[in-house]
Amino acid sequence: MSLAGIRDKVRTGEPLTLEDGVALYEHPNLLEVGTLANEVRERLHGDRTFFNRNMHINATNVCEASCMFCSFARLKVGDAGAYTMSHEEAFGRLRARVAAADAITEIHIVNGLHPGLPFDYYTELLAGLKRIQPSIHLKAFTAVEIFYFAKKFAMPIADVLAALRAAGLDSLPGGGAEIFAARVRKKICDDKCTGDEWLDVHRTAHQMGLRSNCTMLYGTIETVEERVDHMLQLRALQDETGGFQTFIPLAFHPDNNALMKLPGPTGTEDLRTYAVARLMLNNIPHIKAYWIMLGVKTAQTALWFGADDLDGTVQEERIYHMAGAETPQVMSPAEIIRIIRNAGRAPVERDTLYNVVAEGAALASDKPFRRDVRRGLEVVS
Amino acid sequence: MSAPATEDSRPALAALPPEALAALDLFALGRQAASARDARWTGRGFFVRTRPPEGDGPEGDRIVRFPFKLGESDTERLDRLAETAAAAAPPFGIMPAPVGEPFGLDTLRCFALCRLALPRVAHVLADVTTLGPRLAQMAFGFGADELFAPIVAERALRLGANANNPSLTRKEAVTLIRGAGLVPCERMADGSLQEVAP
Repeated sequence: MSLAGIRDKVRTGEPLTLEDGVALYEHPNLLEVGTLANEVRERLHGDRTFFNRNMHINATNVCEASCMFCSFARLKVGDAGAYTMSHEEAFGRLRARVAAADAITEIHIVNGLHPGLPFDYYTELLAGLKRIQPSIHLKAFTAVEIFYFAKKFAMPIADVLAALRAAGLDSLPGGGAEIFAARVRKKICDDKCTGDEWLDVHRTAHQMGLRSNCTMLYGTIETVEERVDHMLQLRALQDETGGFQTFIPLAFHPDNNALMKLPGPTGTEDLRTYAVARLMLNNIPHIKAYWIMLGVKTAQTALWFGADDLDGTVQEERIYHMAGAETPQVMSPAEIIRIIRNAGRAPVERDTLYNVVAEGAALASDKPFRRDVRRGLEVVS
Repeated sequence: MSAPATEDSRPALAALPPEALAALDLFALGRQAASARDARWTGRGFFVRTRPPEGDGPEGDRIVRFPFKLGESDTERLDRLAETAAAAAPPFGIMPAPVGEPFGLDTLRCFALCRLALPRVAHVLADVTTLGPRLAQMAFGFGADELFAPIVAERALRLGANANNPSLTRKEAVTLIRGAGLVPCERMADGSLQEVAP
């Protein structure tokens, strides 16, 4: 299918096929693909570009799974660098934000698959955070974790979700999807749930009325066909349930893990993947450029290649920073607003469910900010 | 927002006056700049392993930095570029150099303007030190034709204090240029050009 043919389909709302997706990946001119993705982005959202005020809690990095792309996990308690937060430690993080009058609306919680923690560690973690700030939205536990809880505690997935929801769970993050293709999973993450199991957790959550996000890890050993197939499987579930809010392509970071011989995706590959995702996933409302792993400059550029969301302020992200992410661990709202405005877009502060918190004049001004400025090495030509 | 251009409606390559350049949207500007680059270098993107000290190259070359900072308008930048464009002996290459932390889209526009406003300057260089490898690669979609980075035999992992090390191996440089859709080509110390086979 030529790009002109794909353009016609996009304009008439006809879903793209696997073949179309591969053609978009292989089209020699990235700008042509970007133009089309931007057309869809602007049709859906105009210039509006979303962000939120959030913090991350990665309560433990002890993890039974040994995914080759991961720099975060430690296999056993007591391994160098292994940690597990006590409840008080985790609660302390939120109390500190509350004390700083930091108006966060969401906590994003993702952990390792810790073999030794009881189920009530997790329920109490959620309940305790809600006691401190009842209005906070808890977006917690990837489908991989939910599936692990179901197996470990011998409960149906729906019961795990119901118990966590009763304790305060509001929605699921999209992590752990990696690439659904069995060939790739066998090689890079053989000991976590399969693609079908991942989808099944989200299906169950959606049926219970919980919203969730979805992701794709790209840039390891997967083929272009496998990426597009991954998107198509997400699109099929979305047709069934409508529960996904946002798709987040996650760029593989090669440092400090078992795949560090791979080059990792480059900037143009990042932009291409955002553009293809926007075009393939016609039924998922938002595409998020997660600045933590893309880097701020690439994330900003992605706002013209299909993305309409930058994620949030993010406090203390650990997973990608242990894989060599060069980004700071926090951005102020003023800084995010400035980045969006500089891209010629209109910033909108949202909550986790995409209700508008503030936009236009109601947003804080984009006054100058301080950030860790990169110290470049001086090179003489 | 202007109507999206298509492959078929790509504007013909012509020297555009500054006000026309400043009015182009991101994609139109990128297309023009990439066409201008390709017209000159037929789809090749360059890197250099050992650079001579500044002003002392085999082609009597001079690579000048073009400082730009956030908040400037396209017109301001074009005014400054006009001085370079009118110089009796134009430089061999121009290297956009952000003052302060560069933003993505602003930087890409600046690259396109450099390419389009300076038809007599052969090379537009993307500096990995100031831009990082991702943005430097993206600049190739906006008129850059040469990667500017220390090329090393081996590099340490980009972790901790080494996180922002701009050094690239030859293979990484080739991967970045090829990934941008260009044929990687090494400019040798004697000025000859050597394409790198896939």
